[in-house]
Amino acid sequence: MKTRKAAVGIAAIAAAIVGITTPAIGADPVKIGLLEDQSGNFAIAVIPKIQATQLAVEEINAKGGILGRPIKLIHYDTQSDNTRFQEFARRLIQRDKVDVIFGAFSSASREAIRPIMDRYKQLYFYNNQYEGGVCDSNVFVTGAVPEQQFSTLIPWMMEKYGKKVYTIAADYNFGQISAEWVRNIVKEKGGTMVGEEFIPLSVSQFSQTIQNIQKAKPDVLVTLLVGANQASFYEQQASASLNIPMASSVNVGQAYEHKRFKAPALKDMYVTANYIEEIDSPASNDFKKRFHAKFPDAPYINQEAANAYNVVYLYKMAVEKAGSADMKKVRKALESGDICTDGPSGKVCIDPKSHHQSHTIYLVHVKADHSVEIPKVWNDIKPYWLGSVGCDLSKKDDTSQYTPSSPPKK
Amino acid sequence: MNWLSRFNGPQTLGEGGVFWSLFVVTVIVLATVPLYAEFFIVNNLAYFLLWTFMALGLSLIWGHAGILSFGQTAFFGLAGYGYGVISINLGDAHGLTWVAFVGALILPTLLAAVVGYFMFYGGVRDVFVGIVTLSITLVMETFMAQTAGPEWAIGTARLNGFNGMSGMPPLTIPWFGDDSIMLDGNPFYWFVLALVVVVYLALRWLVNSRFGNVLVAIRENPDRAEMLGYNVRLYQLAVFTIGGTLAGISGVLYTTWGSYITPSAMGLTAAALPIVWTAAGGRKDITTTLVATVFLLWVSQTLAVKGAQYALVLMGVLLLVVVLLAPDGLVLLVVRGIGRVFRRGQPAGSNNGAL
Amino acid sequence: MLATVIGFLYQFADTFAFLILSSVGLAIIFGMMGVINLAHGEFIMCGAYVTVLTARAGLPLPLAMVLGALTAGIIGMLIEYFVIRRLYTRLFDSIVATWAISLIATQGMLIVVGPSIEGLKTPFGSFDLAGLSFSWYRILLPVIALLILGGIYWLFMKTPFGVRARATIQNPSMARALGVDTDRVYALTFGLGAALAGLTGALYAPTMTTVPTMGSAFIVQSFVTVVVGGADVLLGAAPAAAVLAFIQSVLTASYGQLIGQVGLLLTVIVVVRVLPKGISGWMLRGSN
Repeated sequence: MKTRKAAVGIAAIAAAIVGITTPAIGADPVKIGLLEDQSGNFAIAVIPKIQATQLAVEEINAKGGILGRPIKLIHYDTQSDNTRFQEFARRLIQRDKVDVIFGAFSSASREAIRPIMDRYKQLYFYNNQYEGGVCDSNVFVTGAVPEQQFSTLIPWMMEKYGKKVYTIAADYNFGQISAEWVRNIVKEKGGTMVGEEFIPLSVSQFSQTIQNIQKAKPDVLVTLLVGANQASFYEQQASASLNIPMASSVNVGQAYEHKRFKAPALKDMYVTANYIEEIDSPASNDFKKRFHAKFPDAPYINQEAANAYNVVYLYKMAVEKAGSADMKKVRKALESGDICTDGPSGKVCIDPKSHHQSHTIYLVHVKADHSVEIPKVWNDIKPYWLGSVGCDLSKKDDTSQYTPSSPPKK
Repeated sequence: MNWLSRFNGPQTLGEGGVFWSLFVVTVIVLATVPLYAEFFIVNNLAYFLLWTFMALGLSLIWGHAGILSFGQTAFFGLAGYGYGVISINLGDAHGLTWVAFVGALILPTLLAAVVGYFMFYGGVRDVFVGIVTLSITLVMETFMAQTAGPEWAIGTARLNGFNGMSGMPPLTIPWFGDDSIMLDGNPFYWFVLALVVVVYLALRWLVNSRFGNVLVAIRENPDRAEMLGYNVRLYQLAVFTIGGTLAGISGVLYTTWGSYITPSAMGLTAAALPIVWTAAGGRKDITTTLVATVFLLWVSQTLAVKGAQYALVLMGVLLLVVVLLAPDGLVLLVVRGIGRVFRRGQPAGSNNGAL
Repeated sequence: MLATVIGFLYQFADTFAFLILSSVGLAIIFGMMGVINLAHGEFIMCGAYVTVLTARAGLPLPLAMVLGALTAGIIGMLIEYFVIRRLYTRLFDSIVATWAISLIATQGMLIVVGPSIEGLKTPFGSFDLAGLSFSWYRILLPVIALLILGGIYWLFMKTPFGVRARATIQNPSMARALGVDTDRVYALTFGLGAALAGLTGALYAPTMTTVPTMGSAFIVQSFVTVVVGGADVLLGAAPAAAVLAFIQSVLTASYGQLIGQVGLLLTVIVVVRVLPKGISGWMLRGSN
């Protein structure tokens, strides 16, 4: 009997402590589910995302939470494995009953959980740069999309270096759709495609590709390579002295290749990113300071970290506008058109029609010693494409992904 | 209990009253889970169970017939895509999803029959079988990964490349009037559970039949079996085809569970998993394979939830310990341990009971 | 025309080197001992990491590479002693054991060293020929591959260790009866295979990104080459790599990387069907 009494005593003390430390007594937390790859292939680009999310949650909780309710962040490590995404998406929805889900890096993992989000009408934010075109009532996208990255990058490159363009792209959805964007823009601006090559994700040896490029003699090489295997291209092209200016929408901003590769492997690489660590603005410097204070060992703060950070604040604004974390009301609030936040990269706003987000786009130039300069900044680039082809989620529900060659049926 | 004898025999562990009582109790407990457990647990259990068919098939062809296939995921993936293509084109009215279900099982069965004929009648043996099957699954993965464009569509079903195919309806049972029962949640769980029980019993019967005994004879010494007058290649072809169908069942169920199938389901990592489950289960027995597969799926998910970045390391350590300490597989190690506790104080050899 | 021929020869040599080097460690562990080593890629990764880390700490590159190979070899012998040794009577279980080791090594490296480290620069620069430019280092790789093959042949055919190793592999109990310390032979053979895998990682480290999962870039090619080579790895590896490299480079040059990859795998299926015992089995037909 003695032990039982002791247990009751401890429980009472514990309850008292919890009661004191919780910001608002009786306030249920707002539950945010996070599905990100802490292990496996994508960990390199995703770990900064997880850290940025944790930072934003901590900051918001320190200032009293959302509507006086603390945020509870429930993160599962999806191990770069699509089946884990499926398991844990269901777990977050059915067991943890979260108010919103953030996360996913690869498009495949997003597509793996999107049917589940749609089946259970779960509010979900994909906080990552991708190939574009997802027009889904339950999904909001805060990463950059091709029209934002290529409509800026490709004309600038053609202007500066010449009109002959060669594309090498990872042979899957992202690479193929991005290459299509590049092709269309090059044609529109009066350039020519002197070559286009698609490479399976498992390929790590590029001798043949390098020769093909040398024979075609392009002015600009667009590299849409993805993953650790394909990243080997840069060292291999440098060792063969390819020496052609490169343009990309995925490198540097995600997996900070300019920090990981020995100079000059990425010499004259131009990237359009909505954030990189080297951006020297008050907002960015402040963000970096807070980030490094919390995570002193963080190797790099990448573009997706900024996206992941922004999404927490965007969600907070929407909940506050809606006056509740009810998913239908939050979605309505997000579609109001004035959900914006001043993040590390500048002001970003949610587009009600496509559920995508406007971005400040930075042109990043990697120099021979792998230091970085930013020769050009485009402010407030809108995600215009989906809206222009007829996706309007504020009026009509949808769950599709469209591409320039398969737009919505009118 | 005479009819039970068909399910018992030298090729399976577990017989007698205690075992079968335990079996019935387990099935009843599992079948009543939805009555007392939350929705998530039911769903998750259905997910664990749906993978067991692939492992059971591998136990049959590897454990019983000695053919190590490294490419069961080829059949898994083909069935998944098959279900997607057929069900998206036919829709889910009038129980047409069952046409997709059956069609999606015919595809991997045919593929397994063709591949099996190609290998066994061509004299491909041992580890070469593993590499041929692995190559097939990797070819399918690489090919499917690049089918992103709109030109890669069968009817109205877009294959959608590496990102995977989605939008297929779940299985539905047409009911009176306009209602139909969608096999999601509890009904899906009961359906999977029933299928597991049926397949389990069917395999027990099969491996203890004359067919099963011949398989073991072939595993132990193919040349001797041939000398004794058995058509070794025919038996190998038959068992390989059955294994392909079973992997296909897992593929269809997985696809309907998540409305999603992807080329990664046929990749190298995915292909190694059924081998790990089967081997950890001791591979030569249907029951232990079934239990070990569910257990490992549960452990690896629990580790992923609790272990953060240490999950994969802990999983590796666990597997290593299992292999080193339990030569006959995880399940037998545990059962023997329990048996030892129970038997304490009894004269040795008095217990031929449960296992 | 000249550019095409030179380009093709370079491609062929490059692919040949990749196939030989990725498979050579596996050929010894899998081909001679029958252990299906799914951790092969992680030995490669280990060699690459040690090379990159020590070279960046100031060690000359060749020494760093040797150190990478040695480290992988020593780790290999430790793994043989603590794990593989217990599995010789049930080789299939080595699949699970080595799969487990591969999980531990990949994720362990991620936790300890982080998701990526800064790589090395490819040495020696480049040269121009027929309007194309080539990396000297990649010309060197096929030469090294052939030297390694020669070294292995010499080791197993001309040295006392080789005789003991071959005896142990053919008939362990007979070898033991004749006084061969078979445990030691197994440990050394496994260690040699791991060291060669480590050397492969070391050699490719300056040309690739150094990440914990880098071993997976080698694993398919390695198994495919070894199996197409057949049971006698000393005899089979070179012709297998030559055949596969020829087909892959022709297909890649003419139809692109996708067809090159798919073609390689389809070739494997066809070769195994036509020559069920691999190339060395076919070369040795009629004998014994």
